[in-house]
Amino acid sequence: MASSLKSAALLEQMKLHFATEEGKKLTKKIGLVYQLNIAPKKLGVDEEIYVVDLKEGKVTKGPYDGKPDATFSFTDSDFLAMASGKLNPQMAFLRGAIKIKGSISAAQKFTPDIFPKPSKL
Amino acid sequence: MAMRDLVTGGAACAVPGSSSSSNPFGALANAILGSSSKTQELKGLPGSAVNVPEASSDYRPAAPLTTIPGSEYESQQDQRPDARTSEFLHGFHSTDHGGLAEAWDEIHRSPVFPPAQFRENEAHFEEFERVYNANPLQPTWDGPPQRVLSSVLHSFLGSDQAGVPFRPTALPVLGLSEGDKQCIRDRSCIMARHIFADKSEEYIQSQVNALLHSLDIDSNHQIRGSMHGPHSELEGYWNESQGAMIPRMPNPVDGWITEFSQQRENDNPAAWANSFEQMHGANGWASEFEQDLKMGHMRDANLANLAAMEQSRMLAQTLGQNRDPKFQKSKFLQFVSKMSRGELIIDENQIKPGTNSLAGDWANEYQAQYDVGPKSWADQFQQEELSRGTDNWVHEFSKEHQRPDEKWVDEFSKLNMNDWVEEFGQQVSEGAFGESSADVWADDYDKYLDDQLRASKQRSGASRGVYVFSDMNPYVGHPNPLKEGQELFRKGLLSEAVLALEAEVLKNPDNAEGWRLLGITHAENDDDQQAIAAMMRAQEADPSNLEVLLALGVSHTNELEQAEALKYLYRWLQNHPKYGSLAPVQQADSLYYADVARLFNEAAQMSPEDADVHVVLGVLYNLSREYDKAIAAFQEALKIKPRDYSLWNKLGATQANSVQSADAILAYQQALDLKPNYVRAWANMGISYANQGLYEDSIRYYVRALAMNPKAENAWQYLRISLSCASRNDLFAACDSRNLDVLQKEFPL
Repeated sequence: MASSLKSAALLEQMKLHFATEEGKKLTKKIGLVYQLNIAPKKLGVDEEIYVVDLKEGKVTKGPYDGKPDATFSFTDSDFLAMASGKLNPQMAFLRGAIKIKGSISAAQKFTPDIFPKPSKL
Repeated sequence: MAMRDLVTGGAACAVPGSSSSSNPFGALANAILGSSSKTQELKGLPGSAVNVPEASSDYRPAAPLTTIPGSEYESQQDQRPDARTSEFLHGFHSTDHGGLAEAWDEIHRSPVFPPAQFRENEAHFEEFERVYNANPLQPTWDGPPQRVLSSVLHSFLGSDQAGVPFRPTALPVLGLSEGDKQCIRDRSCIMARHIFADKSEEYIQSQVNALLHSLDIDSNHQIRGSMHGPHSELEGYWNESQGAMIPRMPNPVDGWITEFSQQRENDNPAAWANSFEQMHGANGWASEFEQDLKMGHMRDANLANLAAMEQSRMLAQTLGQNRDPKFQKSKFLQFVSKMSRGELIIDENQIKPGTNSLAGDWANEYQAQYDVGPKSWADQFQQEELSRGTDNWVHEFSKEHQRPDEKWVDEFSKLNMNDWVEEFGQQVSEGAFGESSADVWADDYDKYLDDQLRASKQRSGASRGVYVFSDMNPYVGHPNPLKEGQELFRKGLLSEAVLALEAEVLKNPDNAEGWRLLGITHAENDDDQQAIAAMMRAQEADPSNLEVLLALGVSHTNELEQAEALKYLYRWLQNHPKYGSLAPVQQADSLYYADVARLFNEAAQMSPEDADVHVVLGVLYNLSREYDKAIAAFQEALKIKPRDYSLWNKLGATQANSVQSADAILAYQQALDLKPNYVRAWANMGISYANQGLYEDSIRYYVRALAMNPKAENAWQYLRISLSCASRNDLFAACDSRNLDVLQKEFPL
């Protein structure tokens, strides 16, 4: 309950997902490191930084130690929308809703299917 | 099911070329299928074996019906053996339509329908007539074919009760329009899934096919895609750019667009070009356009350029397809294509060549490399560069790096430009973007616009907690919509129940029970946004209702809104007659999770036999992601209430979230055995399969959930993701146009 971001909950689930067969396949398939700067409301304001490491199969809080393959800046709700397939990252990028630094081919592999879907009570 | 939508022209099923709400066949199918569903019993539902004969009296109130315009027809129709009808019947008996007469008699004499049901049939007619007569635009009442149709539909619905499959019957030509057929087809497909929820998919298919065959309706998929041609698409893009540039490009451009689109509708481009030339001279257009642009106040030139280039690219593409040589040489086309290539940019109301800056050089160089390659990417990329403009880039970079501008150039080129170019070229040669990346982009763009539209709609509505009502609701005016809604809910006809309950809360906006049940129904139908909105209203009306507070806690948990969820779960405790004393009153805003959890544990110790406390505890542990404890809590609750399907689903969802997908599927199966139409459990099944990498299976479950509630937004998104993971990109079109027929055929369950 440390973070008030909705994205944090999803990333927690991602942690667990990496423990499964399917999660392990992801690291083989993608093998890249993404840094996510997630802001509660406005891009760049009060960002929380997470690293989704698809090389090692882990999610950590705080900036990456080294150079991530791609760094994304999202708002909380845009990240969720992207992870659930509601928002196309390429179009969001063009609209300025997402900022991307780093390799574009790495960025293009950042797609909704790498995230587990939360089940509903 | 959004059955009503299908027929009455709701967004989910717009039938091209038919205004379904105003056609008598549609209305008939609506009345028959909709209201007859009341007589259906869902086998899998314990305790719901309801025969509704007495309820039918509710259908015959004199008062509301007479107030409807056109009710004069009704009295005529009510006296059944009126001249025309009997003449019609006579005609049938005397001619050779033996099969029809048989079917007709079967329906009216068959022991399948007890006497009580007869009365109800009349009630259906009444309802139908009410719907029909509400539309005075079609005064030519042509009784016989409707009657025939209604009989057929009735016998179709009755076939479940009778336990015998529906037999195809020979019928006279009914003269159904394409639109009518589509309505009946769609509606009966979904209805059949409800009626025969306990039967196999093949059985349902064959039933529907038999019905459709009798009615001479092609059971194959009929193209339902949008009718928009390239022209309206163009207009759409253009309008979008207007949206982006409203403050900067006021009326003159609008006028031009209107004129343009008007002209565009003339099918003869040559005539169009001619008339335009006559009006403005061959080159007048371009200059007029320029003028218009200048007149606009472009405050943010960069953004405008991005949008303008995108628009002009689209425009150029579309215009370029026009083969007329005169047009191809026109200055306007040249102008537009220059704009689209970035050779011209619009800056401070001026049109300038785009090469006056560093960025321009970059762009040129970049483009030179790319002239062979896929244009659209280059364009998009270039736009991005241009739109930020040199200034922005410099600022951004110098801010970040605190270095002079020259270094930035080095830095930047070192950084990734060449990498990107190479990578991109590689990907293209690998075919990563398919053969026509331009199309893909256009599609994506199109979809994005849709999303934006939908998102803004949602933002203005549901997510702010405002309930969004369905457009067309046949239950408005129903004498007792609450009772109707409860009945439908109990039978698992969730989407129908939503409509009835909406009618109830429209009638009695302060009815907490109406709102509560509406919220529950939405939650079971896998729509948490609407569930929250409804529950908020229920809570307004009855602030201490425990079920409402728990439901709000659950829905907010599902939406990952932890603080909100915690607030409502705490209020549950505060308002509980037994445990209220445990909760200190003062803290409302500053809740700590640990405190709340401790209090609930105390409550659970006080009365371990209270299933509700365990349920709340389970939800709480979901919030803190202590899944093992959550699972234990739900299992405890299930010991007390083993037939609570929502508990089985909660257990399953918790197991799924703690990556025990295989267990989760067993729990969902329990839930579905108890409630076959539980859309949420079907969708959750899909999620569990997808999280295990079993995409084909997940697709089947998503499709099944969507067949029961086509408004389940999340399931549509997840379906698309699963399709992509299963490499079934060929079905994207069906998914995007929400064509369930194709998907069901491809992925039967």
